[in-house]
Amino acid sequence: MSFFGFDTSLPRDRGHQTKAPGFGAVPDAFAGLSSRRTVDDDDDDAIDFEDTYDGLGDRLDETDDAFNDDTFGSEPASQQNVGKDFDFAGQTSKIANTLQEEHMLFQARQPPPRMEPARQAARPARTGYENYAKTDYIPQLEASANIWGIQPKHHIQPQQTQQSQQIQHQPHQRQESQGTSATPARKMMSLEEVEAMMRAQSKKPGPPAQAPQPAQAPPVPPHPQHQMPPQQHVHYPSQQGPPTGPPQILQRPQQQTAPRSSPASRPQGHAELPGHAVQPPSIPQHPTILQRQRPAPSEPVAQTQRHPPAQAAGQRPPSQPRQILQNPNRLSGQGQPISQAAQRQAEYQRALPVGPGHNRGPSLQGPVVTHPEQLLNLTEEERAAFLIEDAKRAKRNHKIHMLSKDNGLMTPQDKNFITRIQLQQLMAATGGLEEHGPEAALAEDFYYQVYTQIRGAPRQTPHQPTSQFAQTYIFQTGGRYGVGGRKHQRGGDNHMQRMEQQVQRAVEAAKAKPKGKQLVIEGSLGKISFSNAKTPKPLLNIKRPESTDGFHATARRPSRVHLHDSSVFDRKGTLRNIERVYSTLMLMEDHERLMPPPLHADSDPATIQRHLEWQTKIQGLHEQLWQDLKIMEPINPNSLTPHPFIAMLSHPKGKKAIPRIFRQIDEQQRITILTMIVVHLDALSVVAHAVPTPDEPNLSRATREEVELFSHAVMPPLFAHISESPLNIVIGLLGLILDRTNLQVVARSKIGMSLLTMLISRAELLKQSTPEINIVDWEQWTQLYNRLFDSVEPVLPFVFPGSVNDGDDVYVWQFLAAMGVGASPEQQQRLVLGVKDRVMETVAVSKALPAEIASVRLGHVNLFMRAIGLDVELLG
Amino acid sequence: MLFFSFFKTLVDHEVTVELKNEISLRGTLKSVDQYLNIKLDDVSVVEDVRWPHLSSTRNMFIRGSVVRYVHLPAAAVDTALLEDATRREAASAAAKAKQG
Amino acid sequence: MADIDDGPSTSVSEPLDLVRLCLDEVVFVKLRGDRELKGRLHAYDSHCNMVLGDVEETIYITEEDEEEQEITRTVKKQSEMLFVRGDSVVLISPQAPS
Repeated sequence: MSFFGFDTSLPRDRGHQTKAPGFGAVPDAFAGLSSRRTVDDDDDDAIDFEDTYDGLGDRLDETDDAFNDDTFGSEPASQQNVGKDFDFAGQTSKIANTLQEEHMLFQARQPPPRMEPARQAARPARTGYENYAKTDYIPQLEASANIWGIQPKHHIQPQQTQQSQQIQHQPHQRQESQGTSATPARKMMSLEEVEAMMRAQSKKPGPPAQAPQPAQAPPVPPHPQHQMPPQQHVHYPSQQGPPTGPPQILQRPQQQTAPRSSPASRPQGHAELPGHAVQPPSIPQHPTILQRQRPAPSEPVAQTQRHPPAQAAGQRPPSQPRQILQNPNRLSGQGQPISQAAQRQAEYQRALPVGPGHNRGPSLQGPVVTHPEQLLNLTEEERAAFLIEDAKRAKRNHKIHMLSKDNGLMTPQDKNFITRIQLQQLMAATGGLEEHGPEAALAEDFYYQVYTQIRGAPRQTPHQPTSQFAQTYIFQTGGRYGVGGRKHQRGGDNHMQRMEQQVQRAVEAAKAKPKGKQLVIEGSLGKISFSNAKTPKPLLNIKRPESTDGFHATARRPSRVHLHDSSVFDRKGTLRNIERVYSTLMLMEDHERLMPPPLHADSDPATIQRHLEWQTKIQGLHEQLWQDLKIMEPINPNSLTPHPFIAMLSHPKGKKAIPRIFRQIDEQQRITILTMIVVHLDALSVVAHAVPTPDEPNLSRATREEVELFSHAVMPPLFAHISESPLNIVIGLLGLILDRTNLQVVARSKIGMSLLTMLISRAELLKQSTPEINIVDWEQWTQLYNRLFDSVEPVLPFVFPGSVNDGDDVYVWQFLAAMGVGASPEQQQRLVLGVKDRVMETVAVSKALPAEIASVRLGHVNLFMRAIGLDVELLG
Repeated sequence: MLFFSFFKTLVDHEVTVELKNEISLRGTLKSVDQYLNIKLDDVSVVEDVRWPHLSSTRNMFIRGSVVRYVHLPAAAVDTALLEDATRREAASAAAKAKQG
Repeated sequence: MADIDDGPSTSVSEPLDLVRLCLDEVVFVKLRGDRELKGRLHAYDSHCNMVLGDVEETIYITEEDEEEQEITRTVKKQSEMLFVRGDSVVLISPQAPS
């Protein structure tokens, strides 16, 4: 149907289309005819008529789908029919060339069909037309011609075949377009006449289909032209000779002429033809025919025929016009937008039939189709057949018109524009990610992208930003621990090992240097002095609370008690605080990746500017984070709820945030956090809840997991910081613990004890490695140590977790070792007494254990034993 | 897209898909799409006595909407990363909601 | 403590923001078909699709015994990591760790 639709388009369109390949699909058989005609036959108005007849014949063929296929396709049967039609056109054109109307037509028609093919081949190389050339096709054509024969006017003389063909064309015109006369008029009439016709037609109410037709018609021409010529040739080989017949002949001749006589016209037609040839000419023809016919309804076919002869000379021009019609330029040139009223189109159509006939006459199908007279010559059977076919075609044409109402509404440019819009929308819908760059894609696919980076899974698309992202997270995971009690904690004991190393170093150092403090040691001096210089202020912060310790220490306990009972509101508030911290953290981590390239001396202003902006933003985020942490919230000793920061640490995700937070904050802030934790040490859930009681010697699984998580997440950064702290910091921290926390609770929890171990061992290391010791500091330290010793000694028997068989007591031995190193001989004695039982039990148990495990257990004990100059071996 | 992204990391892992009609299918996750439709290979029906008609099916495509649970190997899940991804998703969803 | 509500990032403006607070917390989830889940929330989206860790599923099954009396028995299942499709979810509630 599409073909039909195109055909229906206005004549102008046809012209345009003819040139345009896409439109060419609807080639106008007539157009082709016209072009050829124009060349040769100027005189033959009659030829024009004949041409119109031919067009009609094509239309008829088209009406039947099968026919269309035949004409266009290779199928013989259908093609035959079409071929006949085309042949008619070709014949007519040939006739036109001769300029002798009737005679030529008749003569040409009879013999030509077979002859034509050869000629066609010679002129234009048309693929589909060859079939038409075959004789077989002709018979069919004749049959169709009979059907058409109803209204034979001019063409009576032609041989039966010719006549039939002509008749066919004529009927088509008439039937299809009531105004068949118009079609002939086109070719026949001069431009002026055409204009007159158009006006007249416009006045007359054109059939609804007319408007659409014009639009279609234009597209049709190209094909028709191509196809038409071949057909004509096929049928009227004999006609090739110059125009024999009158008007009828003229029509055909025109077509023929175009190819032959007028090279210019031919080339056009031919050029288009090759490409279009493939497409069925018949289809396009129909629409064109319809248009022409209908527009001209008022004017009888006879008139058209008549006119043509008179204007025969002008026929050549007509053929050109057709070409114009076909040409897309025409559309543009005429500037008749689709928007133009249907009437206008109708007018054009009508005008085309008439005026075109003359001007564009050559291309006009009207003439070909139009000879009703031919019908008269037909036998009754033929007529009946024609009539039937006509009826069918009329129906089809009507359908086509209905369907093609809106044809030509949009120009190719319009369609292009719409297509672009649609494509853009498609892009927007599907390609949105790309538009926003890899960053957006990453955001959408964050987990997969980062996960595959971290876990080394195969990566499909290496995004630069992805790797940066992953780096951010790998950093974090480096400090990470397995997640909340998950089983796959990797490197979980990292900090424990480091602490053990520190303790061991302290022990070794102590052994190497007998008790007396010697200032000689040179080792990691630089480091120590470094940290000293770095952190002068923190000391003040720490000592401030220290001064009011007594009061706070007593006041603190209640708050601890209420930890469990924190209301739902507090809980939600705490969770909210934590999520806020995470939001800020993620912003900062994202922002890190956007850090502009480092500045150089010769950096351009833009880079410097970007750096400034980046700095400003990170600064803002930094402050935001610090605020989110609630770390600076005033410490209210009497509060029933824990400090907001400490409360955060009671949630797994709060603990997990610490390493990430430590990456973002500066030294000063780390000390502040450390201080805050130390001050509230016994309020930490992992301390307060993690003290075994006689009722529950073993901690609950949840608590154990919490402790585990804390020691994996929070302790390492704390430890890392303490291990580089100067003595004054260590002193300050220990003082805080002694003054403000319940040491008995702290000492009996793993976390508390670990922290104590850190501080003590660090102080021992400092004591033994620092050349210049501040005597005041050391005195202070010794004083604190003694306080600590005295506080812890009573609970020594209870500091071990679970039973001897548990074995998770390394941290206790570490603590004892750290204590033992700094202890006086007398204190060492008390230490041994305090833990003697455990030592003996462990040794006993070890004997029953596999060698490996036993050695590990004994090694732990030896940590302590060696610190005080003993060895498990001695216990033999 | 969070869970689509998430499931992509589980491709080639052994999972158990529990459908809303109580059938549990254990198999290797071969692919997943944005609708969380699932393709399983080497499928075995967990209670093949109860669902004998499925026991001969070795691989299958499961429409996402009929899934109730997917049991996953915990070791294949980076929960910390997953939580961060969830936060990002939530943040972007909130941002979109504000824009809208 | 007083300024819990300030800051745009975590102010509760939508129901799902409450769920976000429960990330990495133990939550209680009620599902269609008389099922309940308790586990640590590792992920969720706007469809209430979820990933829970260390999950305990409780299924309530009502049966009739010989005397035609309805008896509800519960079946408990454990799963170390579980994806829950959102269209089964009825409610999500924070669950204080027990």
